[in-house]
Amino acid sequence: MRSRFRRYLRLPLRRLTTIRAQVDDEIALHIELRIEQLIGKGLSRKEAESEARRRFGALPASRRRMFTTARRKERHMSVRESWDALRQDWRYVLRTLRLEPVFTLTIVLTLALGIGANAAMFGIIDRLLLRGPTHVVDSDRLQRVYVNTEFTPGEKATFSAIPFAMYSALKDARTVEGAAAFARNKLTVGRGEGSELVDIGLATWDFFPLVGVSAYRGRFFTKEEDLPPTGTRVAVLGYDLWRRRFGGDESVIGKTIEISGEVYAIVGVAPRGFTSVRLQPIGVWVPMSALSRCRPDWPTTWQCQWVDVIVRLKPGMTPHSAAAETNSLYKGAYTGKSESWLKATMSLLPIHYNGDGTEPTELSVSRWLMGVSSVVLLVACANVSNLLLVRAFRRRREIAVRMVLGITRLRLVGLLLTESLVLAGVGAIGGLAVANWGGQLTRVLLLPNVEWSQAAVDSRVFLFSLLVALATGLLIGLFPVLQAMASELGASLKAGTREGGGRRSPIRAALTIAQAALSVVLLVGAGLFVKSLWNVEHLDMGIEPDRVLAITAEWPRTQGTGKAGALTNDERIARRAYRSQFYDRALERVRALGSIEAATAAVGTPFSTSFGVDLRVPGRDSIPELPGGGPYIAAVRSDFFKTVGTRLLQGRDFTAADRAGSELVVIVNQTMGRMLWPNEQAIGKCLIIGADTMPCSQVVGVVEDSHRYELREKPAMQYYVPMGQEIGIGGTDLLVRPRGDLEDTIELLRKELQSLDPTILFLRIHPMRNAIDPQVRPWKLGASLFAIFGGLALLIAALGLYSVIAYLVSHRTRELGIRMALGARTAQIRGMILQEGVVLTLIGIAAGLVFALIGGRFVNDLLFDTSPRDPFVLIAVVSAMLLTALAASTLPAWRAARVDPVEALRAE
Amino acid sequence: MQKLSPIKGTLDVMVLKALSWTPMHGFEITCWLEEESAGALEVEDSALYQALYRLEERGYVEAEWGVTENNRKARYYRITTEGRAQLKAESARLLRYAATLTAILSGARG
Repeated sequence: MRSRFRRYLRLPLRRLTTIRAQVDDEIALHIELRIEQLIGKGLSRKEAESEARRRFGALPASRRRMFTTARRKERHMSVRESWDALRQDWRYVLRTLRLEPVFTLTIVLTLALGIGANAAMFGIIDRLLLRGPTHVVDSDRLQRVYVNTEFTPGEKATFSAIPFAMYSALKDARTVEGAAAFARNKLTVGRGEGSELVDIGLATWDFFPLVGVSAYRGRFFTKEEDLPPTGTRVAVLGYDLWRRRFGGDESVIGKTIEISGEVYAIVGVAPRGFTSVRLQPIGVWVPMSALSRCRPDWPTTWQCQWVDVIVRLKPGMTPHSAAAETNSLYKGAYTGKSESWLKATMSLLPIHYNGDGTEPTELSVSRWLMGVSSVVLLVACANVSNLLLVRAFRRRREIAVRMVLGITRLRLVGLLLTESLVLAGVGAIGGLAVANWGGQLTRVLLLPNVEWSQAAVDSRVFLFSLLVALATGLLIGLFPVLQAMASELGASLKAGTREGGGRRSPIRAALTIAQAALSVVLLVGAGLFVKSLWNVEHLDMGIEPDRVLAITAEWPRTQGTGKAGALTNDERIARRAYRSQFYDRALERVRALGSIEAATAAVGTPFSTSFGVDLRVPGRDSIPELPGGGPYIAAVRSDFFKTVGTRLLQGRDFTAADRAGSELVVIVNQTMGRMLWPNEQAIGKCLIIGADTMPCSQVVGVVEDSHRYELREKPAMQYYVPMGQEIGIGGTDLLVRPRGDLEDTIELLRKELQSLDPTILFLRIHPMRNAIDPQVRPWKLGASLFAIFGGLALLIAALGLYSVIAYLVSHRTRELGIRMALGARTAQIRGMILQEGVVLTLIGIAAGLVFALIGGRFVNDLLFDTSPRDPFVLIAVVSAMLLTALAASTLPAWRAARVDPVEALRAE
Repeated sequence: MQKLSPIKGTLDVMVLKALSWTPMHGFEITCWLEEESAGALEVEDSALYQALYRLEERGYVEAEWGVTENNRKARYYRITTEGRAQLKAESARLLRYAATLTAILSGARG
C-alpha cells in the first residue's frame, strides 16, 4: 500500500532503476534455467551457455524494449492511481461534509459572503478604473489637457474646460497622434409633450477616430460636416436613446431629430455602451461646430471656455513630454491678455479624472472598499480556518489511525486541501450569486450615473472569483495542513479524543483575535462614513434644497433680423419683456395653487448659477477678497428667502413694491455685512452696484449665509437685489416650495405652466436636491458599503466566535462534568465559558482600535466634518463588538452550565 | 523436421492459453509451449518476453515476484479477467481462421 502512494504524482527516479533491475533479474533467471535444462539434456556447460543465448535472441535490443514497455505501463498505472486517489479523496470529502450539514453550511455561507463582496467590488473597480471606457481603444494613451493657474492669488485652480483655440493649437503637436475636442450639454430633444432633457455630446469630427470607436449603424461625422464656425446639423444617436425614442428602428438613418428646437439629420447610431471618454451616458452626438455658439468667433477666441481637449500619445511618449509640448504650443498660440491665462500652464492627466484635475471620489472610495472587502474575506477565512482546526482537532484520532494504516502525510495534506478547495469552490458559487445581486444593487442605488451595459457578473468577474476562490481554498487549508504536518501520531492515538479537547490552541486564539480586530477596523470605518453621510445630509447650507423645486423654461431659439440672424437690441428688449411678463403670470398662477407654500423667481439660483458684477462701497478703497470668491449678486422677487428657506436675520425681505423703477434696495448675507462694516449695523448702509455713476442701493436686510454650489464651501459675500433692479445679468428660474411631496407637484406645475404659454419648448422641473446629489454620492457609497461590509464582518466574527466556543464546550463535556461533580456552581461554569470568548474579543478590540487609529489618517480626506478618532464612533464600535461577543458566548455558556455530570461521565 | 516459429499475432493468445491453467514464470511458459506443441514449436525467448510485457501493459496479465520450487526469485504472470475474455475471443477467431485456411488450402472444392 505504501508503494502506491510513492507513485502519487509521477515516477520517481528510484522507480526507474527498480524497473531496470527487475527486467535484468528476469532475463538472468530465464537464461540460468535454460542452461540447467540444456545441461540436463547432456550438453556441456559451455555449449549450454551459448545455446541459451542463441535461443534468447537479440539480448540488448529486447532488454531495451522490455524496459520501455514496462516503464510505459508503470506510468499509465501511476496516472490512474493518482486519479483514483483523487476520486477517493473527493468522495471522502463530500461524505464528511454531508455528514455535518450545519458545519458545512456555515462555512460555505461565510465564504460566499466574503468572496461575493470581493467579486462585486472588483466588478465596480473594473468598470471605474481598470477596463477603461467601452469602445475606447488603448485608453491608457489618451490624456486630457488641463489648465493650471491662479485667478485669485494663492488659490491654485486646475480645470479641463478650455477654449476651442487650444484644440486648434495642438494640430501640429509631434508628441501626440492627434487631438480632439468634446463637450457635453443638457438640451431638450423633441418638443412639447414628448420632449425630454438629454445629455448632448458635442465632438469634433476627429474625436471618434482618435478614441477608436466606429458607428453601430451609419457613420460618425465627416470633416466637412464639422467646419467652424457653423457646421452641418447632423446627429448620431446614442444606442440607448435610439432604442428608447426610436424603438431601435433600423431605418432611422435619414430621419430627423429636434434638439433645442433645431432639426438635425440622423446619420448614425453609436455602439452600445459608448460614452465618450467618461462613463456617463450620452444621448445624442452632434458636431462641435453645429452647436457651439457662445460667441460668433468661438473657434478662435480665448474668452469662451467650454471644451475638453484630449490627445492620444504617440507610442513610447510619456505624458510628461507631451505636456511640455502642449504647454509650449499654448504659449505660442495664446493671443488674449488675461493675467491668469498668461501665466497659466497646461498639463496632461488620465481621462478618467474629474474636470478639476482630481481623481473621482467614487473611485477613491471604491478603492478603499476593495480593500475593505478583502478584509471581510480575511475575517471569513480566519473564521473558516478556525472551524476547520477545531474539527481537525476532534478528528485527530481518526487521522492518526489512518496514518498508521498507511496513509502518507502527502496524501493527508492532499485530502485536507481537497476539502478546503471544495469548500472554497462551493463558496465561490454562492459568492457569484451574492456578487450578482449586490453588484446590481450598488449600480442602481449608488452609482446610477455610470454606463453599465455589462452584466454584474461578466467573464472578468467570474475569472477573478475563481482566482479568489483558489487563494481562499489554499489559505483556509493552510492551518489545518500545518497542524497535520506537525501532529504526532502516537500521542494522538494513545490519548482519547476527549482528553485535552478543550485545550487552548495558540493558532485558534490568534485567529479569533484577528477576526475581532479586523471587524473592529471595518466597523470604525463604517461608523466614520455613516457619520460623514449624516453630517452631509444634515448640513445646514442656509437653504433647504429638499423642499424646493427649481423650474427653468426653455423657448425655441429665435432668429433675429440683425447681423447673421442675431437679435437686434429692440428685439432683445421685447423678448425680455415677454418673458418677464410670463414669469409674473406664472408666479401669480402658482401662488394661487393650494398645494404651494411659497414661490418666487430669481436670476442666480443656488446650485445652478451665480454672478458677479462691479461693486463699490462708499468709504472703502476696495472690497476684501475671500477664499470663497465673490461678492456674488442675485436678483430675486419677493418671498425668495421664504421659498428657499434662508433665514432673515435683520431688517426686511423684499416686497412686491421693490421692482424696476422703485427705490434701489439690497439685502446682504451675514458674511458680507460683517466683512464690509465690521462692528457696525449693515442696515441703512449704501452699495454702488454696476457703474460708478449708479445711485446708492440701500441695505434693508441681512440674511444668513447659504451655499452656492458645493457641500464644502468657504464663506463668501453674497447680496440680493429686487428683480428688475439688476443690471447685466439674466436667466430667470422659478423656485417653488410645495407643501407636500416634491415629486407629486412636478406634473401639476408642468401642466399649469405649459398651458400658460404653449410656445415653451421644454420645462425643466427638478428638486434643488438633484444638483447636490452627485456630490453626496461618494459618501452614500462609502457609508452604505462600509456599513454592509462592517456588518458582514461583525456577523461572521460573531458566528465564528459562537461556533468555536460551542464546539469547545461540546468537547469539554467530560471536564465540565467533573467540575460540576466536584461542586462548581452553574454560574461559575457559565462565567468560565463567557470569559473565554470575551477575553479573546477584548484583545481583538484593542488591536483593532490601534489599527483603526493608524489607518484613520489615510481616510481623513474622504470624511465629512468627522474626525477619524470620533469618540462617539469608537465607543459605539467597542460596545457593539463586546455585546456581540457576549451574545455569541452566552448560548454555549448556558448550554455548558446545563451539563449533567452523571451523564457526562458515563458517556466516556 | 524443421521447427515452427509462431505466425505473427498468435503468440499472445498461446501465452494467454498457457496462463489460463495456472500462473507461471517466463521459462515455465516456454516449456509449456514446447510440450504442448510436442516440440514442433520453437519460440524465441526474447519474443516471448516482449509478448508478456505487451500483455501486461494491456492489462491481460498481471505480474508478481514470487519464489520458484528451488527458492529462486522469479516473476510470475497471472491472467486477468480481461485476459480471459481476450483469450476466448481471440482463440475463437483464430480457430475459425484456421478452419477456413484448412478448407482453402486442402482444396475441398478442387
